[in-house]
Amino acid sequence: MASHLPPKSSTQHSQPASAGVASQAHEAPKGLKRWLLTTNHKEIGTLYLVLSLTMFFVGGLFAMVIRAELFQPGLQLVEPEFFNQMTTMHGLIMIFGAVMPAFVGLANWMVPLQIGAPDMALPRLNNFSFWLLPVAFTLLLSTFFMPGGAPNFGWTSYAPLSTTYSPPSTTFFILSLHMAGISSILGAINIIATILNLRTPGMRLMDMPLFVWTWLITAFLLIAVMPVLAGVITMMLLDINFGTSFFSAAGGGDPVLFQHLFWFFGHPEVYIMILPAFGIVSVIIPTFARKPLFGYASMVYATASIAILSFLVWSHHMFTVGLPLVAELFFMYSTMLIAVPTGVKVFNWVTTLFRGSITFEPPMLFALAFVVLFTIGGFSGLMLAISPADFQYHDTYFVVAHFHYVLVPGAVFAIMAGVYYWLPKWTGHYPNLRLSQWHFWLSVIGVNLTFFPMHFAGLAGMPRRIPDYALQFADFNMVTSLGAFLFGLSQLLFVLVVVLCVRGGEKAPAKAWEGGEDLEWTVPSPAPLHTFETPPDFQPRRH
Amino acid sequence: MWRVIASVLAAFFGVQKESRRQEDFSRGGAGPFIVAGVLLAIVLVALIALVATLAAG
Amino acid sequence: MRIRKRLVWTASGAALAVPVSGALASGWNMPVGVTDLSRDIHGLHMAIFWICVVIGIVVFGAFFYSLFRYRRSRGARPSHFREHTTVEVIWTIVPLLILVAIAIPATATLKAMYDTSEADMEVLITGQQWRWRYEYRGEDVAFLSNLATPREQIAGQGKKGEHYLREVDEPLVLPVGRKVRLLLTSDDVIHSWWVPELGVKQDAMPGFVNENWVRINEPGTYRGQCAELCGRDHGFMPVVVEAVAPERFDGWLAERRAAAAEAAMGLDRDWAMDELMERGEQVYGTICVSCHQPDGRGNPPVFPALAGNQTLMDDRARHIETVINGVAGSAMPAFRNTLNPVEIAAVITYERNAWGNETGDRVQPSAIAERIAE
Repeated sequence: MASHLPPKSSTQHSQPASAGVASQAHEAPKGLKRWLLTTNHKEIGTLYLVLSLTMFFVGGLFAMVIRAELFQPGLQLVEPEFFNQMTTMHGLIMIFGAVMPAFVGLANWMVPLQIGAPDMALPRLNNFSFWLLPVAFTLLLSTFFMPGGAPNFGWTSYAPLSTTYSPPSTTFFILSLHMAGISSILGAINIIATILNLRTPGMRLMDMPLFVWTWLITAFLLIAVMPVLAGVITMMLLDINFGTSFFSAAGGGDPVLFQHLFWFFGHPEVYIMILPAFGIVSVIIPTFARKPLFGYASMVYATASIAILSFLVWSHHMFTVGLPLVAELFFMYSTMLIAVPTGVKVFNWVTTLFRGSITFEPPMLFALAFVVLFTIGGFSGLMLAISPADFQYHDTYFVVAHFHYVLVPGAVFAIMAGVYYWLPKWTGHYPNLRLSQWHFWLSVIGVNLTFFPMHFAGLAGMPRRIPDYALQFADFNMVTSLGAFLFGLSQLLFVLVVVLCVRGGEKAPAKAWEGGEDLEWTVPSPAPLHTFETPPDFQPRRH
Repeated sequence: MWRVIASVLAAFFGVQKESRRQEDFSRGGAGPFIVAGVLLAIVLVALIALVATLAAG
Repeated sequence: MRIRKRLVWTASGAALAVPVSGALASGWNMPVGVTDLSRDIHGLHMAIFWICVVIGIVVFGAFFYSLFRYRRSRGARPSHFREHTTVEVIWTIVPLLILVAIAIPATATLKAMYDTSEADMEVLITGQQWRWRYEYRGEDVAFLSNLATPREQIAGQGKKGEHYLREVDEPLVLPVGRKVRLLLTSDDVIHSWWVPELGVKQDAMPGFVNENWVRINEPGTYRGQCAELCGRDHGFMPVVVEAVAPERFDGWLAERRAAAAEAAMGLDRDWAMDELMERGEQVYGTICVSCHQPDGRGNPPVFPALAGNQTLMDDRARHIETVINGVAGSAMPAFRNTLNPVEIAAVITYERNAWGNETGDRVQPSAIAERIAE
């Protein structure tokens, strides 16, 4: 395995010495107050990432409970009621607590560094949008201790199970989701304002690194759909507490309305969780292939195309609710169309590797695994698009396999790739190579052992969200559970790597990766608290 | 005008030439592209809906 | 080092290949099923699967070739090409054409699935937490279908049977060769009626009626279960369909019609306490127990306790009203159409005299029938 190759050239840009001095000139508060009051994009980025990692383990713990119960047929550990709370909270925590904040954290850290901005455009808003989240998740997790327990209707919260038949804690779930939603919208506004206004002179939109581009598009998606989520959960709130009947046929409402509104939010949400991952991978692969990204323009255009199409496909989550035939066909065709720009991206990554000069540092390992395993998730997505076949796949473990492939070795691996890639910039040290490799290989094996057999369980007829199952699914579930335990345990290695890297390790130069061409590699490692107080020189290079 | 539509179609299709892109992005405002993008998105929806209606027959 | 890496790749390739080939064996794949439509669906499934496999071989082939061939440790020098419009257009057009090719048969199959016209008979399927109710429309035959797996097996006491969690007390009996229109609805939350081998999965929406249809080609017993999360016992809501020859079906239906008429007869006479308690315990054990628990303590706050529930014991009229009409805005359904008057009278009597509730009340079926008639 290749070791790190510090750049030999002396062309590194270095920050003006004044940068470091300026940071000391501030009377920065210490201790807890420093973190509560910080408006610095790097500190807020770190806060987001720490919250995300914490939530990743909380949600992971729930997954372990689920997998332990499903290890063999029969009810062994938990009651069905609690099992449903586990599946619901696992989904909510992982989506809103782990994946989304991780991407916002990476954006906070890296967007200003990649566009040569001194900070985010709206630093105080940035602080507020972060601190909403710990409050939101504390409230959400506190529902476990309420009478009737935590929400138990699945993260999709289909009415009327989530309204008329829901536990009393549902109102608190709605409020916490509102807070997380406000946080996302404010974060998105901040990212858009930063990207559109604070690019260093000379950097045009089309000169931006792809991570910045994908986040720009993601931020618009967030602004478009988070209000829809807010609307639909508010309607739930009204149905539960104020006697309305949006989702109750008895009062003239319609439970299908809930699903339309939810998925009009939910499908773009899927892309919110994957587009920044595309961006990270599109930045990492060229660095370690030492070759420019193939089809940069196409990549940007394909991202835009996916974003637009993501608003036109929501009902493919609802093929079995009794849609009219025309609607069924419409959503089948539009869903098949979205596979095309997604395919273009995969082809471009592969072609970027072709005739490169490839090395396999930890970030690259995760990025490469992303390409393969995300593509597998894309294939099952294509299968799910075929509406007649979806009547068989829908609500089975085949779907669970599909979305976990795009979310775990998809989004989560991309986040880990990003963390390994930028850790030297954040801490000034390279992560321990041997441990990182162990973490990678155990994760790859664990993730596939966990999610690959789910395809078979689903095709053989196992519905999702059940605490106990028929005997023919026993073997698949046992393998899945073992894989899940392996994957879960190996994430402790990740924490170890990060902690060790913060405390010490091989020193990283400003340009930590030989092939790194973006602006973040021109500031010292670790990046000082304040960077780019004067806009850096930027030479537009052809991507 | 035609160039704007061609570029937006290229965006829908997901493939664009570097040289075209350079031209597009040196044109100044993004306004025409956004308008064309929204209009063509509506056309796309109408088109898929039309095909679906015909297929449902 | 290099050999080890190659070994890892080979091993991971094999790790993927083994399950893929295994997937084609039965028990790992979608069943072909026993209707024309389930066969069509299976055909589409396999077609799109093989398309994915072929694309996968090409893409992953190019991917792993590049990783292997252009490693820097092998001395690869990077080239600097950035785009190739022709290639990009080709790899966009080709998938587009493949998708059109698969969309055409998919559309045809979907249209066939939606054609519920000219059915020979109709069954109304109603989802309830957590059982199915089947009503043969126009035949005066309706019954509930409950999980038949003993609770001890679920709790891990005793060996699990062959059809663990996929067995019911009364299966849906359907004739082979006749087109059956399925009407689906729900009394409470959304359920989804699914039998993989019939190629039918359709959501049951409260307050709305969905349609689907099935024509079974081969006699046999086909098993499935509820596919939409519907609350606590979602995993314990199996569907069993027994497909029999048309003549046998007609005989069975006539028998059921006669039995239903007989059951309605008990209305006129006065039922003794023992009879009511015995029948009531039976009804409670299949219907009420999942929420209100075997000991009547319920699962507050959503499912209130019946044992020692003084307000309820003091108000017999309200107790009857609750069972007949349910409680709007709560998880308590109306049993007016689900249970017959004998069963309702028996279960109320049982609840008022079990677990230390000693009201001594007897509720007569005739009184319930009158109350429902109002």
